[in-house]
Amino acid sequence: MSETKDIRIITRPTKEQIRQAQIDFAPRCTAAGRVNDKETQKMVQYILNFARKHSLFLLAYGTGCGAIEIPATLTSRYDAERLGIRGAATPRQADVLMITGYLSTKTLKRVIRVYEQMQDPKYVVAFGSCTINGGMYFDSYNTIKALDRYIPVDVYIAGCMPRPEAVLKGFAKLQELIQNGNAGNGECYRKNLDWYRANQQKVIKNWDFPDEYNW
Amino acid sequence: MIMKTTSERNKQTTLFIGPQHPGITGNMMVKLLVEGDTVVRAETHIGYLHRAFEKLIEQRNWLQSFTLLCRFCVPEPDPMELTYARAVEAIEGREVPPRAKYIRTIVAELARIQSFLLWYGGQAGSAGLYTLGQWTVGDRNYILDLFEDLTGARIYHMYIWPGGVRRDLPKGWADKTRRVLDYLEKRLDDYNRLLFDNAVFQKRAQGVGIIPKDKALEWGVTGPPLKGTGIGNDVRKDEPYCAYGELDFDIPVYEGGDVWARALVRRDEIKQSIRIIRQALDKMPGGSYYNRIPNPMKWRLPAGEAWVKTESVRGEIGFYVVSDGTEKPRRVHLRGAAYTHGISVLEKILPGQNIADVSFILNSLGACPPEMER
Amino acid sequence: MTTQDIIRALNETFELKAEVLHGNQIRVSMHKKQVAPVLLYLKNQWGFIHLDHVSCVDWIEENVFELVYIVYRPQDQLTVLVKTKIHREHPEMENMEGFWPHMRTYQREIREMFGIEFPGFEAPREFILEGWEEIPPMRRDFDTRGYVKRTYTTRPGREDAWSVREYITRRTGEKLPDFARKYSRD
Repeated sequence: MSETKDIRIITRPTKEQIRQAQIDFAPRCTAAGRVNDKETQKMVQYILNFARKHSLFLLAYGTGCGAIEIPATLTSRYDAERLGIRGAATPRQADVLMITGYLSTKTLKRVIRVYEQMQDPKYVVAFGSCTINGGMYFDSYNTIKALDRYIPVDVYIAGCMPRPEAVLKGFAKLQELIQNGNAGNGECYRKNLDWYRANQQKVIKNWDFPDEYNW
Repeated sequence: MIMKTTSERNKQTTLFIGPQHPGITGNMMVKLLVEGDTVVRAETHIGYLHRAFEKLIEQRNWLQSFTLLCRFCVPEPDPMELTYARAVEAIEGREVPPRAKYIRTIVAELARIQSFLLWYGGQAGSAGLYTLGQWTVGDRNYILDLFEDLTGARIYHMYIWPGGVRRDLPKGWADKTRRVLDYLEKRLDDYNRLLFDNAVFQKRAQGVGIIPKDKALEWGVTGPPLKGTGIGNDVRKDEPYCAYGELDFDIPVYEGGDVWARALVRRDEIKQSIRIIRQALDKMPGGSYYNRIPNPMKWRLPAGEAWVKTESVRGEIGFYVVSDGTEKPRRVHLRGAAYTHGISVLEKILPGQNIADVSFILNSLGACPPEMER
Repeated sequence: MTTQDIIRALNETFELKAEVLHGNQIRVSMHKKQVAPVLLYLKNQWGFIHLDHVSCVDWIEENVFELVYIVYRPQDQLTVLVKTKIHREHPEMENMEGFWPHMRTYQREIREMFGIEFPGFEAPREFILEGWEEIPPMRRDFDTRGYVKRTYTTRPGREDAWSVREYITRRTGEKLPDFARKYSRD
């Protein structure tokens, strides 16, 4: 099980990192009133990222057939909860939106809505080959082909279907990105909303939502 | 979930369960009109998983369709391959060697067991009992390991082909299967103690979601929901295919038609499946496992049609396959068990139930959205 | 009861020529106006109480749609495939939603996927698709690849999409034998 070993190395901070954090942290505690300078911000960010990467709440939304491997990943054999990954019921409490497979245009509309309801920091993990380039649905009239044209994506997990080990590896990658401060795409989405919205409206013909949710 | 008041006196409320809802099986939506916490009217909305498989299959040749077919139903892909392979064989008149028939039986029954184990997790989880899901879904991996040894994949196998199966049983696989079955049989008692001896489950399941016995056949109910109403129709027994005619097994039947009866049926079905696999392993004939087909790229089937049915965990599934004499199918149309269970039957039995029981009933009917909309 | 009894009964009552398809399956073709009476007759008179399936096949060369209703008698496992052909221009079929509760679902699907109208059928039009503006997608003349090209952006393929065998030999510096070259890409 070389997979598990890799994950352990990536997800836990190295001793060097911990020592660095302790050194960074110690003098600041005594220096009152200096919380807004660059060094402190960097340190706070480090601690925040450290905390975030160990508590990833997955939104319980099985958008496609990849949802069948999620229970296997979360339950006893693969036990993703030891990495801090567990389910969340509603978008507003979730950190990670998993696009488990192909998205039909009807689901894409709901996914966009769910994605916009989620609060920062939010991460998107795309699951399966069909989110990358359509996979085996390359000529289907009802599924989108490249997910990152419609919502920004942090991590792609290739395969049809990806094994739970691959899913864990993908999450390890996401944790690495979070620790480095490279993950989280709400900002990117807000900045480039026009481009994303244009792409979305090209595919979704019927752009009506229930009354409570109109743009 | 979004609430929207519809009447002036706020008596009746529209409530959407799904598509994003932890209690929903897969990706579908049930629109409810509720008064207090009682459902007045229910409406199933599907189409969130529509991948246009039946259109795509028209563009693939007979063998290429298998990669699409097994994705018709995610929790239990093997009966789809089996049914389609049998339909192709019926059109062409191709014989299947006896060894292949036994291997197919074992694969279909293993698929049933793993799907039932997944159902345990879903059914208990929708009643708020999360321990059982951790156990059964964890133990399901042992069966997926067997599939991996046999076919090379955990979920989608593409193992059953026209004319037989793709590979022979690997060395030592039969013993491994027996060991897994022995383990599962021991564990079943633990699962059942946790689920059926639980007061919460007993109180919630009994008398909920009743399908009337006299209407069941007319409503198109099949599989465990039908056996839960006291009618023991099962395609494996009625029109035996593969090796089922030569094996000894019983069809569990319970009266009542409620969630409790359906759960009891599924509990006994696992035991019967274990029994079938053991017999099939013992009786396994030798010889060829595959009746060679011609070059699949140039393989033409004679013009004709076939209607073939198979028993899956959710009920009977059938394929209506039409060939026009070319390399590609003219039409492949799936009759999913969930197609009736999840839409017309659900809409009929939900009125009068509690909101909290909706996902409970949905799980017990075995609604499987990818099978409904393909 | 056997298949022969049903074939005889259909012949005597409706003057239809039924035939055995496979085993205990019977296939019978008829005019579209006869479908409803035959289905009701089979259901009420002979106990074909279980509607198994309703399917539609597009025979674009003959300019017809073929509708297939499959009914099943659980007592002795008899199946009847009731088939009818309707014209492809302005296709219409009798509305039979009252016969079986799940007929409504089948009719909604066929109406959406093939554009066959059922006069008097009042279910919501949108069932699986949403905001669909093209011709019904399951018709043979709907070009799904052309639609995909027009609508969706696809990712270009990898430039290094070599033959795996070639790639391995190039990496190891091994010379490719002739029998292996037969299957390689160039």
